[in-house]
Amino acid sequence: MESGFYGSSLDDSLKCKFEESGLENTHKIMEKAVNWFRSRSIFVVAYGTGCGAIEMPPTFTSRYDAERMGVIGVATPRQADLIILSGYLAYKTLRRVIRTYEQMQRPRYIMTLGSCPINGGMYWDSYNTIKKLDDYIPVDVAVTGCMPRPEAVIDGFVLLQKRIKNGEKAGWEKYDENFEFYKDNQKRVLGGHIDPSYETDWYNLKSGGKA
Amino acid sequence: MDLASKLERLSLELVQKQDYLYKVTVNLERLESLLLSFLNEFGYITLDSINCRDDLEDGFFTITYCLQTKKRDHIVMVQTKIQRENASLPTMHTIWPQAEIMEREMHEMFGVDFPGHPTLIDFALEYWDNMPPLRRDFDTLEYVNSMNPFRKQRGDALDAKEEMKKKREAKKAAKLKAEKEAQTKAALEAQNNPSDEVKDEE
Repeated sequence: MESGFYGSSLDDSLKCKFEESGLENTHKIMEKAVNWFRSRSIFVVAYGTGCGAIEMPPTFTSRYDAERMGVIGVATPRQADLIILSGYLAYKTLRRVIRTYEQMQRPRYIMTLGSCPINGGMYWDSYNTIKKLDDYIPVDVAVTGCMPRPEAVIDGFVLLQKRIKNGEKAGWEKYDENFEFYKDNQKRVLGGHIDPSYETDWYNLKSGGKA
Repeated sequence: MDLASKLERLSLELVQKQDYLYKVTVNLERLESLLLSFLNEFGYITLDSINCRDDLEDGFFTITYCLQTKKRDHIVMVQTKIQRENASLPTMHTIWPQAEIMEREMHEMFGVDFPGHPTLIDFALEYWDNMPPLRRDFDTLEYVNSMNPFRKQRGDALDAKEEMKKKREAKKAAKLKAEKEAQTKAALEAQNNPSDEVKDEE
């Protein structure tokens, strides 16, 4: 999957056109501008997987007001740039999370709250929860704490904005590059039952795109 | 007929646990008829819960049905034992509809079979093909370690126990040193001004 206009950098073909007409600097400026706009309008789909869901209403409402930084909630994953996973993930939830994440359009980012997605937290010996979320989907920002306060969540937003603004390599690019690694890990714990099996194979569109 | 005399006729013992809480132990053959008589004759109309306890050492499950009156002032626990191997119980979902989901959960977590139950499918777990996880012979730790290995430590990570030990020892040594210094200082002062105290007294 080539990173197009919808990726973190502008289209390669567009870049070539700029270079042909001697406008390399314009291209760089445009890229910077796009990244700046992007960092200032993060649309969030909040997936309340665990106890951290309770921290999100104060983050987005008048007390802490994340909207002043351009962070606002949306209804569906297809409209969203960022998915917040707040808390531990059972295998059952992981299935839904993977499906939700793959529905999101690039660029897409993942933020996790709490220690459970990092190392299992207090559910480390549960038969039904995963320990390391970044084995299955790429995590961009992991806010630690049990649970993190809304200030910490906002700090995570700021960190993500900084990264987007600097044009750093994001998790979704790693997901596309190491797609087999992630899929193997997902199959290991989910036993191959990853929904939906009927989805278009977006990663091999050139070779037919059939999953 | 009141509850005590009825149970006496059935040669069952009614044990009072608390003011509102009673317990009856019954064998599996008479379980269903006893539950029905509690419902129809004595007004225990609500099935609160069906609980299962795994007595691995003795080789049986202890099943407890909690029934409650309409006024919510009395609870009776009907307890029975079933074999762990090929465990099976009569389904109660025709009498109490809420039993359907309780039995479904017990089937998933302990592997108890309920012949005639309409929905013995996955409940909380999905595509679970291992031993039912709440049976005590299921080795949770081994399963967890095989499925979810721990995250590798960072290269610069230090052993917390040893670091704390070092810190404590350093603190102790510093304290001892400070005490020694204070002692020597006091001794020196006493040597330099030996007549101070005597003067004050005079």
